[in-house]
Amino acid sequence: MKPFSARLFGAVVALALAAAGPALAQQLELKIMAPAAPGGGWDQTARSMQQALVAAKIARSVQVTNVAGAGGSVGIAQFVNGAKGDGNQLMVNGFVMVGALAMNKSPVTLEQVTPIARLTEEIQVIVVPANSPLKTAQDLANAVKADIAKVTFAGGSAGGVDHVMAALFAGTIGADAKKINYIPFSGGGESLAAILGGKVTAGISGLSEYEGQIKSGKLRALGVTSEKRIAGIDIPTFKEQGIDLVIANWRSVVAPPGITPEQRKTLTEAVEKMVQSDAWKDILKQKGWEDAYLGGDAFADFLKKETTRVTDVLKSVGLVKS
Amino acid sequence: METFAALAHGMAVAVQPMNLLYALTGVFLGTAVGVLPGIGPALTVALLLPVTYKLDPGGSLIMFAGIYYGGMYGGSTTAILINTPGESASMATALEGNKMAKAGRGGPALATSAIGSFVAGTIATIGLAFLAPWLVDFAVRFGPEDYFALMCVAFVTVSATFGDSPIRGLTSLFIGLTLGLIGIDKLTGQARLAFGIPELLDGVEVTTLAVGLFAVGEALYVASRRHHAEEQIEPVRGSLWMTTEDWRRSWKAWLRGTMFGFPIGALPAGGAEIPTFLSYSTEKRLTKHPEEFGKGAIEGVAGPEAANNASAAGTLVPLLTLGLPTSATAAMMLAGFQQYGLNPGPLLFAERPDLVWGLIASLFIANVMLLVLNLPLVGLWVRLLAIPQPWLYAGILVFATMGTIAAKPSVVELSMLAGFGVLGFLMRRFDFPIAPVVVGLILGPIAESQLRRALAISLGDPIVLLQSPMSATLLGIALIALLAPFVLKGLGRFKASED
Amino acid sequence: MTESPSSDLSQQPRSQRVDPAGLVIAFALAALAAVLVWDASRLPSTSMYGMGPEAMPLVVATGLGILAIANLIDALRGNLPPRESTDPKPVLLILGGLALLIAIIGLGGGFILATSILFVATSAAFGRRAILTDLIIALVMSTLIYLAFDRLLTLSLPAGPLERLL
Repeated sequence: MKPFSARLFGAVVALALAAAGPALAQQLELKIMAPAAPGGGWDQTARSMQQALVAAKIARSVQVTNVAGAGGSVGIAQFVNGAKGDGNQLMVNGFVMVGALAMNKSPVTLEQVTPIARLTEEIQVIVVPANSPLKTAQDLANAVKADIAKVTFAGGSAGGVDHVMAALFAGTIGADAKKINYIPFSGGGESLAAILGGKVTAGISGLSEYEGQIKSGKLRALGVTSEKRIAGIDIPTFKEQGIDLVIANWRSVVAPPGITPEQRKTLTEAVEKMVQSDAWKDILKQKGWEDAYLGGDAFADFLKKETTRVTDVLKSVGLVKS
Repeated sequence: METFAALAHGMAVAVQPMNLLYALTGVFLGTAVGVLPGIGPALTVALLLPVTYKLDPGGSLIMFAGIYYGGMYGGSTTAILINTPGESASMATALEGNKMAKAGRGGPALATSAIGSFVAGTIATIGLAFLAPWLVDFAVRFGPEDYFALMCVAFVTVSATFGDSPIRGLTSLFIGLTLGLIGIDKLTGQARLAFGIPELLDGVEVTTLAVGLFAVGEALYVASRRHHAEEQIEPVRGSLWMTTEDWRRSWKAWLRGTMFGFPIGALPAGGAEIPTFLSYSTEKRLTKHPEEFGKGAIEGVAGPEAANNASAAGTLVPLLTLGLPTSATAAMMLAGFQQYGLNPGPLLFAERPDLVWGLIASLFIANVMLLVLNLPLVGLWVRLLAIPQPWLYAGILVFATMGTIAAKPSVVELSMLAGFGVLGFLMRRFDFPIAPVVVGLILGPIAESQLRRALAISLGDPIVLLQSPMSATLLGIALIALLAPFVLKGLGRFKASED
Repeated sequence: MTESPSSDLSQQPRSQRVDPAGLVIAFALAALAAVLVWDASRLPSTSMYGMGPEAMPLVVATGLGILAIANLIDALRGNLPPRESTDPKPVLLILGGLALLIAIIGLGGGFILATSILFVATSAAFGRRAILTDLIIALVMSTLIYLAFDRLLTLSLPAGPLERLL
C-alpha cells in the first residue's frame, strides 16, 4: 500500500509543480542553507535564490538544505563548522539571527562568516486602533514618557526586530528602555486581534503585514521606520516627526569562513548578477519584497554596525546579560 | 444571502479540477492510512505535512480536509473489523461494530458507518458554513484573559474525558505540560529545560511527539505482545448491504449522533470522545432491541459513527474562527496553516475568504467522495489489512521516521522520536492514556502565554481574569465542567458491563 | 489471553499488593518535578510585568509532585491495572533498528541505508526470517521514496554513498 500511495501522491505533486526547466549554465554548483524549517522567510529567500540563479544561468545547479532551530543558531553552527573553506556554499540569514545568537549564547557568531550581500529589507511600522486617542508618533512618545508601564506594545517574538524597535523607540525619546511593557505574540494574526480589540496600546510589525488594515481604516499608522518617505505610502516617517528611529528587517546571504579572496569575489559577483536578473526582480514583485541590495565591504560594515546596535539594545532590555 | 454567495464562490474554488484531485487524494490517503491500526487522522496529517510543503495553501488544506474525514472513517473500519479503533473517537464504534462483524454482519456495520458519516458530515458542514462566520464577530473581542479562561475549560474537559482513571489521565497531561515547557520562553526569550542543547531551544515538535507516541509506541507494543495471539481479521460475511430493517433502525441514530457531535465538537474543548459515548449510551437507552446491545446492535454503530464525523466538522469551527486546535488532528491542521504563515483565527475569513470557503466547500465534496469511495471498496480495505504484519509495521516505522528525517534530520530530533516511542510503549504497557500528553504539549504553552500576556497588560493584577464577562463566564463553565464528571460518573458504567 | 511464562519484563502475580513498577513511576514523576524546580531556579529574573518565566515550571512541578504521591498511593494499594506478559526481544530489535538509523543518519550514511535497516529490523522483530528478501524490498522502497522527495519535492533527504549513485 505504501509504494502505491507514494506513487499516487507523487503524481499529484508532480502535477502541482510548475516544472522549472533545468538550464545548462556555468560550472557553479551551489549549496544554499536555509537555517530554518521549509516554508519560512529564510527558506523562501533561499529557494527564490535557487530559482533566480538557475533561471538566469548563473549557476548550473543549486541545492537548498534546511537546518532548522533556535532562530538560526543551529544552522549557523553547522555552517561555520561544516562548510569551512568551501567556496560553493552560501547561507541565508537576517536581522532575527543577530538577536537570536546573542540571546542563545551561541558559541558561533556572525563575525566568523564571510559577508556576501544584503538582499531585501522590510520597513517597520507602529500602529494604533482607529479609535485610539493617539494621533501621531509624538502623542505616543508623550504617553510613554507619562507612564511607561501603561503603554503596552504588541509585536513578534522576544528579541526580534519588533522588540528591538520598541526598545529603540523608548530610548530615542529619552525613556528607560528597560521598563517598556512589550508583549510578544506568536503570530501577526494574534497580535492584530489584540490591537483591534483594544487590548494593547500600540502594535509593531512589518509594514506589509498590517497594510490591509491600515488602508481599510481599522488601524492608524503612527510612523514608519524608513530614512525617507516611501513613494506610494502615505505614512510619515518617525524621522520627520522628530524621532530618530530608523530600522529595517533585512535578509542577507553569507559564505563560510576561511574561503579565498577569489572564491569570495566569485560568490559576490554571482549574487550581484542574480540581483540584477529579471528572474529575481519578478520574484521580488511576486513576494512583495523590497530590494535592498548591498554588496561586498559595504555589507560587511553594515553587518558589524547592526550586530553592535542590536546587542546593545538587547542588553538594555535585559534579554542579554552584559 | 451573503453566506450563500460566499459558499457558491467557495464551491467554484473547490471544484477546480486540481482541487478536486487534492480532495480525492486526501480522502483516499486518509481512508487508506486511517484503516491501518494505530494510525488515525492526526498521524496521517502529521506524516503528510512535510510532504505538502510544495502545494499551494488552498490545495494542501483541501487535501487535509479530505484526509481528516477519510481518516475519521478509516479508523472505524478497523474498529469494526478487528476491534482495533484507529483512534479514540472510534472506541464506541468498536463496542457493537465488532460484535456485528463477528456475527457476519460486517457489511451492514461498515455501510451504516459510511452512510452515517456522510449524513452527519453533511449536516455538520452546513452548520460550519452558517455558524462559523457568526462566531468570527465575537472572536475578535477575545482577549488574552478570555483565551486563558478558554484554556481552563479545555483542561478541565480533557482531564475528565481521557482514560478511566483521573490520576492516570492527569499524569499523562502533566507529562505533556512538562514537555511544553522545553525551549525558549516566548515572552522573555529565556531558555527553559534546554540543557544547553541548541536543538531543544525551539521546543518539542507536536509532530515528533505524536508520531513517536502513536506510531513508534504502537509498533513496539504490538511487537512485545506478539507471542500472545496474532490479530485476526474478520472477513465480511453475508450481504454487504443494509436491509430495510437496518435503515429503519439507523436513521434516527444518525441524526441523534449528529446532534451530539456537532455542538460538542464545536466546543473548543469538546472533542470527539464525549459525543460518541453519549450517543452510544443514548441509543442503548432508546432502542427497541435492548437485548441486542452487547451482541451487535446496529444503532450502537450508527449513532457513535455519526457523532464522530459531526464532531470532526465541529472541530473546524474553533480552528477556523479562533485558531484553537481542539483535537490532535486540528493541531496538525493548525501546523499546516502556519507552515504557510497563515494564522487561522478571526481574520482568516476576512483575509483569505477564498481559502476558507473553498475549504468548507471541499468538505462537502470530501463527504460525497468518501461515500463513493468507501461503499464499493469495503472489500479492498479488508485486503489492505491482510498485508503481513511484519511488513505492515516495518512500513509504518519507515513512514513515521521519514517525516522527521525530511523536516529536521538531526540526531537530537530522531533520538527524541525514538524516546517518545519508548514513552508511548511504556504508557501503553502501564495503561496511561496517550492523548493527554499531546494535548498538554499543545495547550500548556498557549495557556501560559495567554495568562502572562493578560497579566502583563494589567500590570500583574489578576482581577482582569474576572473583569471580562467572557472570561468570567468561561471560568464558570470550567468550574461546572470540573464538577460534572462526578455527576455523570454513572455514564462510565456501560464500559464495565461490556463482556 | 494466555500467559507465556518464559519472557517477562516485570510480570507480577495479581495477588501481590505492592507493585514495584508503580513505585518506579512515582519516583520518576518526583524526579521530573525536581528537575523542573532546579531549572526554574536558575532562570534570571527579567524586567517583565506580571508573571515571570519561572512561574509555570513551578506550577507544573507542584502538579507532578502531587501526582507522584497519588501514583505512589495507587502502587502501594496495588491499584495498577493487570498487565499481560511482554516479550523484550522484538522491542529491543526495533529499538536497535532505530538506534542504527539514528547512527547512520548522524554519520552521513544516508537515508536509503538507514531506512532499509530499520525496515529489516522491524520486520525481523515481527517474526520474519527472510532477511535478504526484506532487505531488497526495503532498498527498492526507500530508493523510490528518496527519489520522490528529491526529484519531485526538491526536499533533500540525508544523502550518503548510495544516494550519490542515483
